[in-house]
Amino acid sequence: MSYEFGTDPATLAPQPPAAPVAAPPSGGAAKLLVPLAIGGAVAVALGVYGRLHEPTNIAVNIAGFSGPLAAKAWLTTGAATFAVVQLVSALVMYGKVPGIAAPSWIGALHRWSGRIAFLLAVPVAIHCLYAVGFQIYEPRVLVHSLLGCFFFGAFTVKMLSLSRKGLPGWVLPVVGGLVFTGLVGLWVTSSLWFFTTFGIKF
Amino acid sequence: MKHKGPILTLAAGLVLAAVLMVLNLRATDASQRNAAGDQQPDAPAATATAQPGQAEPTNAPPTKAPPTAAAAAPVTYAGRVKGGAATIAIVVKEAKAVAYLCDGNRTEAWLQGTARNGELILTGSGNARLTGSVAKGVAAGSVTASGRRFTFSVKVVKPPSGLYRATNQALDAVGGWVVFENDNGQVEQVGVMNIEGDPQPADPLDLNNSTTTVDGTTITAGPVDPSAGL
Repeated sequence: MSYEFGTDPATLAPQPPAAPVAAPPSGGAAKLLVPLAIGGAVAVALGVYGRLHEPTNIAVNIAGFSGPLAAKAWLTTGAATFAVVQLVSALVMYGKVPGIAAPSWIGALHRWSGRIAFLLAVPVAIHCLYAVGFQIYEPRVLVHSLLGCFFFGAFTVKMLSLSRKGLPGWVLPVVGGLVFTGLVGLWVTSSLWFFTTFGIKF
Repeated sequence: MKHKGPILTLAAGLVLAAVLMVLNLRATDASQRNAAGDQQPDAPAATATAQPGQAEPTNAPPTKAPPTAAAAAPVTYAGRVKGGAATIAIVVKEAKAVAYLCDGNRTEAWLQGTARNGELILTGSGNARLTGSVAKGVAAGSVTASGRRFTFSVKVVKPPSGLYRATNQALDAVGGWVVFENDNGQVEQVGVMNIEGDPQPADPLDLNNSTTTVDGTTITAGPVDPSAGL
C-alpha cells in the first residue's frame, strides 16, 4: 500500500509492520482532510446524481453477455477478484503474512491489481447511475446504492492519500480496508445476488 | 510516476467514465429521436408511451403513411392461434408492425417488421418469423417461434384488449400480455415474463392501471407503438 507513495518497495517491505511509513507525530492526520473532503464530495455527488437523474433504462452495453445485469455481475466479480489480490498483496507488503517476505514485485502487483479493479468497476457504476440510478426500493438495493457511492469516495481518498506525504501510518491500511470492504459489499449485494437468483450465467 | 501514479489512476477512471457517459447520451438521444417518430428502425427504443390501439374495428389496416397528417392510430389484432396452444397480438401502425406470440408459460417471441400493402413480414430473435396478411379487420398467417410453427387468423381488438409490454431494466425483465376477447365474450389475458432471458408465466396484468408485479416489485406495462419499435 505504501508503495504508491513512491518508496522503493525493496527497502520498505521488510520494515516492521508497526511503522510502514514514518509519520510526523502531529499534524499528520490533518493532511487527510483534503483527500477526505474530496472523497466525500465524490460520494455525495454520485448519490445526488443517481437520485436526481431520471433513469433512462437504456445504456450502452457490452457485447457477449446476455444482458446488462449479467455483464455487470461479471465485471464486478472481476473487480472483487482483483480486490482480493489487493488485500493479499497489502498483507504481504506490511509483513502480516508469516513466513513470506515481500518480493520486489509486490508493489507493482498491488498497484496494477488495484488499477484493474477500479477500471472494471467504473463501467458498472456508470451503467448503474445512468440506467438505474440511486434506488431504495428494497434493502439490498439501498445498501448497494450507498456502498457504490461510498466505494468511489473511499477510493478517491485512497488515491489522494497516496500522493500526500507525511500521513500517519494507519491511514493507508484503514482507507484501503474500507475500499476493499466497500467493493466486497458491492459484490455481495449485486453479483452474488444475481448468481444466486438467476444462476451462474453470462 | 512516483507521486502521479494514483492521480493518473483516478484520471483514467474519470476519462473512462466520461467516454461511457458520452456513449450513453448518444444512445439515449438516438432512442428518443426514434421514439419521436424518426424513421430509424434499427435504433433501440425507449419504452413506448402512446395510447393503446384505438382503431375502430371496421378500419382497414393502413397501407399508406399519410405524409403530413397526425400519426395514424395503431391497429391491434389479437387472439388465439389455431389449435389454441398460444396467443398472438399484432400491432400495425402505418407501414410498421410489432407482434408478440406467447403461450402464458415459457414460449414467447417478440417480432418486428413491416406491414406494407397488407403484407406482414416480421422477424424476431431466435429465428422467429411471421408472415401473413391483414385485410378487412383480420390478420392471418403463420409464425414460427422456439422451433414451433403456429397459424393464426385473429381479429381487430379494441382497448382494453391489445398488446401490453412491461420492461424493467433493474430486474432485467421484459413482459408481454396478449389481451383479447375470447369466444365467450370475456376479456382474457395471456402473458409471459422474461426475466434475464428466462421466460416464465407472467403475473396478471391489472387492466385498470396497466400494472403488474415482478418478484414483488410493481411495474407498469404500456402499449406497444410499432413506430417506436421495441
